[in-house]
This record gives sequence, structure tokens and C-alpha cells, in this order.
Amino acid sequence: MRYSETLIDHFRNPRNAGMMREPDGVGEGEYPECMDLARVYLRVRDGQVVEARFQTYGCGPTIAASSAGTELIIGSPLGTLVGLTGAQIESAVGGLPEDRVHAAEVVSAAIRAAARDALRRMARS
Amino acid sequence: MNRRVYLDHNASTPVHPEVLEAMLPYFGERFGNPSSVHAFGREAREGVDMARERVAGVLRVSPDEVVFTSGGTESDNLAIKGVAAARGRGHLITSAIEHHAVLRTCQALETQGFDATYLPVDGDGMVDPDDVRRALRPDTILVSIMHANSEVGTIQPVAAIGRLTRERGIPFHVDAVQTLGKVPVDVNAFGIDLLSFSGHKIYGPKGIAGLYIRKGTKMLSIQHGGEHERRRRAGTENVPGIVGLGRAVEIRGRDMAAEAPRLTALRNRLWEGIGAAMPEVRLNGHPTERLPGTCNMCFRHVESESIVLGLDLKGIGVSAGSACTSGNVEPSYVLVAMGIPVDWAMGSVRCSLGRSTTAEDIDYVIESVVPLVAKLRSLSPARV
Ligand SMILES: Cc1ncc(COP(=O)(O)O)c(C=O)c1O
Repeated sequence: MRYSETLIDHFRNPRNAGMMREPDGVGEGEYPECMDLARVYLRVRDGQVVEARFQTYGCGPTIAASSAGTELIIGSPLGTLVGLTGAQIESAVGGLPEDRVHAAEVVSAAIRAAARDALRRMARS
Repeated sequence: MNRRVYLDHNASTPVHPEVLEAMLPYFGERFGNPSSVHAFGREAREGVDMARERVAGVLRVSPDEVVFTSGGTESDNLAIKGVAAARGRGHLITSAIEHHAVLRTCQALETQGFDATYLPVDGDGMVDPDDVRRALRPDTILVSIMHANSEVGTIQPVAAIGRLTRERGIPFHVDAVQTLGKVPVDVNAFGIDLLSFSGHKIYGPKGIAGLYIRKGTKMLSIQHGGEHERRRRAGTENVPGIVGLGRAVEIRGRDMAAEAPRLTALRNRLWEGIGAAMPEVRLNGHPTERLPGTCNMCFRHVESESIVLGLDLKGIGVSAGSACTSGNVEPSYVLVAMGIPVDWAMGSVRCSLGRSTTAEDIDYVIESVVPLVAKLRSLSPARV
């Protein structure tokens, strides 16, 4: 199999799938060459992510990376998520073939955007 | 362990046991070089000659009009470049949905001073013979139109096109890699001068194919060397492959009539089962003028590769219409040429059935696809 066992497991049984009502932050990541789109929703308490959900259109790896990425960030302080890298998502799915690295980029971009959105909303209130 | 269901017969097929049996002696005691004059060589030559006769018998042509090559790709190259080389310059007519072996050969000839017209197709993937007529020029040297497209299976009106080329004495090449042995092919009734076919699509081995060249067709060889294949294709013959191809063509000639209606019924069962179970799915290709075993569908709001992966995990082998190569997704050029919107084309999946496919296989695929697509759609953000 071309993909890691972790990736296949997330693809088969995606965690945190679906939209969230009244989130504290929302962000999207896109990869237009592939038409991939990931949307991440965050629920935040005391500056930390307590719940994360995703909606994703894309190939298997992008769906798996969305699941692994949302799982990874639960419990993280928002401040660290604005600097989340694609490499961190890639290792959370057990690695990606070179031609699928964009899956991690789309998801990390969505998470960073969601974290920025949550920080902006906190600053406003 | 999952059930395993192979629905990718347009990509390749397993070698038929009778084909393998016919080939085996030519790896062993009949290993000689068919050009050698001794008994070892003569035994190999007999195998090649018999295969040529078998192919010629099914095509109803003369054995010396059949040339063996290394694949459908080489047959297409030889047909097109061979005619082009004999003429030196001129205009070629082909279609936008040809296999790359034809499309890129024509494109390469364009860089060498030839002209080419790539005819459009309609929403069913059909070339209009009137478009061929309008594209013909005094300097047209070749018309190359595939018999059936491998992705969507639409069968082209080659007989009508052949009438036009014959009236004008222009050579007509038909890529029949997806049709020989699946639907009737009649080079005389269709007015075909050059016909490509390939072993591995019809339960023969990979890397062996043939080109029918009507006697009198002016062409040059594109590979130079020895005197093989009446100097039309140099190189020591792939004897076991040729023997396998001959047997495969013969078996298709025997089994095709019974298998075509069986596969047509199964392919319709697949589409009807899926089409009835979910919204926003469409069948691609001509509703009736289509290869018996081909069912290409678009699932809107889902990406092809995620369906292929999900089905792979269920033991089902199908192929994706859109290909993501190095992070760049190209919706299928065939579907795009048919005018299918990109948001549909991105979710295309081809199922191609074959001789081992059963009704239980089809039902298992339907049972697997329906919840998979529903799940993938539920993960998807709404796009506006
Ligand atoms: C229509 C058509 N032409 C040509 C080819 C190339 O044949 P081969 O794989 O034998 O080179 C194929 C195979 O995919 C095909 O479907």
C-alpha cells in the first residue's frame, strides 16, 4: 500500500468530521491545482482548543490529514497553532508520498486560518 | 479477508489459461530464433506463422497484412508515423479523445511540419462523420479515429468515416485496442486500412500487439534493423508473446458473441443499481453505442481518487477519471472534451467488466459504492 497504516485508519474512520455550530474560529485551506478544500472549526476555552471539526473535499490523503490534524490540535494553545506547519500534519498521518504532500499543506493552512480567526474574535470581545 | 473484485479490464486483463498454455512451450523447448534456418528456428517460426494466420482469420484479412509490434502504443505510432514518413508532409485528422499514443504522435508530427486537426466530440463522446467530411483537405494524408474510447467506451461511427476516406483514397487508421474481440470489427465493411490491437486488453500478454496494414497502403517502417515482419518492423520477434496474442484473438473470436450481451447486462445492472440509490450521479458515454463492459460514472461533490481508495480498501479495483499527478489534478481530457463540467468530471470513476465478472461482484460493488459516496459527501464542505 502506498499510504501509511495511520493514514488508512483516518481515511476509513475519520475523527471529528462534520460542521460545528457557533464555533470560536473557522478557517479554510485550499489547493487550487487539486481543487482540494479543507474547512476547520475550533471551540476554544481559556485560549486552548477543546474541540475541532472539519469538512473536506479532496483525495484520500487530504481527508485523512484533516482527521489526523484536528485530532492533533485538541488541547493545544491557540498561540502555537498559528505557526503549525505542514510537516507536523504530515507526521500525524504517518507520512505522505511526495506527490501528496499538499494534503498536509491544505490542512495546516486551514488550522492556522482557524486559529487566527479565533484570536481575532477573542481580541474583539 | 475482503472479497476481491477486479473492474479495471480496460486497463489490463489477466492472461487466459488457454493463452498461457499455448505460450509456455515457446519459453522452453521452442525457444529458437524464428529467423534461424535450423529446426530450432523453424519451430519458433511455425508458432509465429500460426499466430499470424489465427489473427488474419479472425480479422478476415491476408496473413501478410498483419504485423506484430510491442504494444498498442507502437502499433499506433507505426501506423501514423509510417504513413506520414511515406508522404513527407500533409494534414492529419484525428479526434480530441484519442489515446495518448495517437494524440501525442500527431502532436509530435506537428512539430515536424505536418498539420493536424483534432475533431471535437459531442456530449456522448461521439465524433460526427460530417465533421470529418468538413475537415478533409486536398493534402489530407491520414484519418485516425479510435473505434472505442477506453475511458467512456463510446463506439465511433467508423463505417461512416471509412466511406468518406475510401471515396477519396485517404488511408484510414483505427485504434481498435479496446474493441477487437469485444464488438464486431470488420476492416472491409468499415473501410479500414490500418488497425491497431493489443494483447493485454483481451486476455493476452502485455507488450505484444499487432497492426493490420491493408495491402497497398503506402508507408515506411519507423524502426530499422533486420528483415523481420517483411521489413515493416525490425527486431527479433517476441515469439511467446506473438503465440499468446494469436491464441487470445482466436479465443475472443470464439467467445465474444456470448460474452458481449452478458457484460452489457451486468454493466447496466451496475449503473441502474447505483443511479437509483443516490442523487447527483451521471453515466458518461453513449447510452447504447458503448463497449459492453464499460461503465464510467461521475459522482458530484466527491473526488475520484477518494472513491478509488475507498473501494480499494474493500478489495475492489476501479480506475479514477481524474488523475492527481505531483499534486496537480487534471480532470480527464476525454470528459472535458465531452463538455462535462469540471465539478462533475473531478468525481469520475470507470468500472470496466470482464469475463470473470459475476452478478454477485456487481452487487458487492453497488453495496460498497453507495455508502462510500454518501460518507465522502458527508465529509465535504458545501461549495458555492
Ligand atoms: C485505445 C487505446 N489505444 C492504445 C493503447 C495502448 O496500448 P498498449 O498498452 O498495448 O501500449 C490503449 C491502452 O490503454 C488504449 O486503450
